[in-house]
Amino acid sequence: MDTQLSRDLKRLFETRLNSAMKMYLETCTRCGNCLDSCHVGASIPEIKYTAVGRAEVIRKVFRRYFKMQGSFAPWLGEVLEFDDGTLERIYEAAYSCTGCRRCMVHCPFGIDTQQLMSIAKALLIGADKEPKLLSMLSDMSIAKGEGIEETKASYAEAITNLEADVLALWPTAAEAEGAFSRPMPLEAKGADLLYVGLAGAHSIVPAAAIMNAAKERWSLSFFEAVNFGAFVGDSRKMKAIAQRIIDEAIGLGVKEVAIVECGTAFRVMRHFMGKQPFKVIAFVELIDRYLSQGRITLDKSKITEKVTYHDPCQIARNGGVIEEPRRVLRALTEYFVELRPTKEENWCCGGGGGLVAMGEMEFRMKSSKVKAEQMRASKAAIITTACENCHSQLSDLNEHYALGMKVEFLSHLVAKALVRPGQSYRL
Amino acid sequence: MAAAAEAVSAATQAVAPAAAGTTTDAVTAASQVAHTGLALAFDKLEYSVMVPLVYLSLAFLLVALVVRIVKILNSPPPPYQLALYPARKRPWMAALGESLGMPQILKRSPALWVALLVFHLGFLLLILGHLDILGSINLVPPASRDMLGAGGVGLMVTLSAFYFMGRRFKGSYRQISIPSDYLLLLLLLFTFLLGDLISWGNSWTASGFVMTKQDFAKYFDGLAAFTFADPRAILHGSHYHMVVLHVVLAELIFLVLPFSKIMHAFLALPINAVRRRVWTHS
Amino acid sequence: MAEYTTLKTLDYKGLKCPMPIVKISQELPKIAVGEVVEVLTTDPGSLSDFPAWAKTTGNAILETKQESGLIKIYVKRQK
Ligand code: HEM
Ligand code: SF4
Ligand code: SF4
Repeated sequence: MDTQLSRDLKRLFETRLNSAMKMYLETCTRCGNCLDSCHVGASIPEIKYTAVGRAEVIRKVFRRYFKMQGSFAPWLGEVLEFDDGTLERIYEAAYSCTGCRRCMVHCPFGIDTQQLMSIAKALLIGADKEPKLLSMLSDMSIAKGEGIEETKASYAEAITNLEADVLALWPTAAEAEGAFSRPMPLEAKGADLLYVGLAGAHSIVPAAAIMNAAKERWSLSFFEAVNFGAFVGDSRKMKAIAQRIIDEAIGLGVKEVAIVECGTAFRVMRHFMGKQPFKVIAFVELIDRYLSQGRITLDKSKITEKVTYHDPCQIARNGGVIEEPRRVLRALTEYFVELRPTKEENWCCGGGGGLVAMGEMEFRMKSSKVKAEQMRASKAAIITTACENCHSQLSDLNEHYALGMKVEFLSHLVAKALVRPGQSYRL
Repeated sequence: MAAAAEAVSAATQAVAPAAAGTTTDAVTAASQVAHTGLALAFDKLEYSVMVPLVYLSLAFLLVALVVRIVKILNSPPPPYQLALYPARKRPWMAALGESLGMPQILKRSPALWVALLVFHLGFLLLILGHLDILGSINLVPPASRDMLGAGGVGLMVTLSAFYFMGRRFKGSYRQISIPSDYLLLLLLLFTFLLGDLISWGNSWTASGFVMTKQDFAKYFDGLAAFTFADPRAILHGSHYHMVVLHVVLAELIFLVLPFSKIMHAFLALPINAVRRRVWTHS
Repeated sequence: MAEYTTLKTLDYKGLKCPMPIVKISQELPKIAVGEVVEVLTTDPGSLSDFPAWAKTTGNAILETKQESGLIKIYVKRQK
């Protein structure tokens, strides 16, 4: 391979070598405790689809360029040079990993395969071999931030057109007069909370009804929460995309930013962007708070079938929101059952890391066989989740494996079960 | 047979070696004939292994370890939090518990966990056992012929290392292993086996081995006092070459250790802490 | 606004994130440069997403129309 390119890639690799990354690269004993942690490897039994199998691709490059043995005894560590074959292996490792970090739960050292795959993704960008769709979507998000003033008016018009849908779920706005008297306040000065949705009315309307029912002084963001910069492993773009929302939140002076049901968006905002003058919460945390404060009540008679819950990786084990959705579900139904395994050990849906956006239907279905089996074994009629990406993947699995379940957003079930004023709560 | 055994034991117990010619012990005699040519070169080589290289390899080990660990831990911190949830109440204690107890392995492969416990505990005892040979440290009575554990510690590390090695030839484990994994284990195994030979010979046969812990104590004390004396004067007999081989292999371990995956021993705590430390607001 | 005729209509109603943009990115290369398609969507965000996407990819949004519950976007392939 062109030596200039391999020198550039080496330099790029070097920029990712923080202290945690060095430990992840040096520490693995190849004990194999993670061999069946990965849903991909558990569904397609090949070493390249196990956590240690993927990580070793990056370690082999690391040994070649950053360890003495790479020069005098390359065979010791089966090193890999930057060439087309290696870049292909790097691609396969990185874009078959959803970044779910289930393997990290099982490693005696806590090696973070998602982080190692972020090196892989950075190298692919450097070699101009990253999935172009993800880069384009990131650029689009950034361009949207730059041109937002021009499109605000038409967005506001579209939001006004959706007001009736919100009022059908909850009959009033948060307040009778003033900035919060619209069912979906935009640029509402004095708002306590900024709600960030996604592309699609389904990500805004039910949430609006819930916040109105709780009399929240909220404002709707002009942006979508999803962060394709994170998917493609471009930390500069990731920050630029999140920064649009941070600027908006600071401009409005809100105390909190609530992120729509989207795992990546939530984790980036809550854990990757450093200290901000506002708190970041997942929407399901907000619902849990409303319930515990008695600001909303739910009609438990709505759901009479077994309901289970899929933990979105970036919200649960990687984000810290584990018990909240369970409390919400228990307020929503008597028929909640856990998936097995569950919580931090729950299987990834198999759609993370940008795979859903990239299409990859065949691979997504094959690589998530264990998830489909887990869903079937729950014997639940409804599977709920709190992440757009998981919802898409679970819906595809449901269809592909003929599971006959209903896939629902937790927020949608909550919005439909809101007990209205004057309506008594039937137990 | 019995006469030969007596002769050997007489040689080990001889405080001041008798002048050449007056003893019938061929072994002792051989070691006292003035060497020339290749034999002399070999003597010098063995001396280098037994004295100066011990200092050099140990010094290298210490310096390389400190430099590497400091370099790794002093690298820029990760730009964002990498913790896993649910969060632990006392993250550092959790990380320490995980470093010492490996609950993840206990849960998923109990047999490996037992082997790991035996190995790692054995390894610690091994270090202690070697230190104990020094005259100034007395974990076992100084009069004992045997090292700490009387050969049992060697058994612990040897058997578990064999288990690790055997595992690496099976199915998926074979596929995730790289040549350095096998070589490191092989290096350890050879070192252990030679050590076993020395200590079992001492402990479990009436007089199968000509050197006792007291003899080694003299050698170790000489090292500790930087006398640079030739241990050949203390450690008699042809078994000496086995001791030299054991020491060479140990020195090799010291040299490669800071660059091998044994670094996990020193990084286990900080790397586990990365998984447990929550520093973004909750 | 210049006169134009639409080649076909793409129905992206009710799609989840980020499918409207993913689909238009896949569809546009299938038509000739200079041709126009009509996109039907229910996603309010598409009103800013499509212009941003057009800017990023060098294509053009000729017009957007809104009715209650329906958004029409006219996309011209320029590259
Ligand atoms: C006294 C310090 C330590 C030494 C000298 C040491 C050395 C070793 C050696 C030589 C192996 C065998 C490697 C192989 O099988 O190829 C090993 C394996 C292992 N050690 Fe340690 N270790 C130490 C401390 C630790 C600590 C603190 C942990 C805590 C997590 C740990 C976890 C492991 C694990 C998980 C393996 C599995 C290797 C396998 O399955 O082959 N070690 N160690
Ligand atoms: S992060 Fe998830 S997808 Fe990636 S290797 Fe680990 S278990 Fe597999
Ligand atoms: S569990 Fe951890 S140390 Fe063991 S092979 Fe997997 S990544 Fe390596």
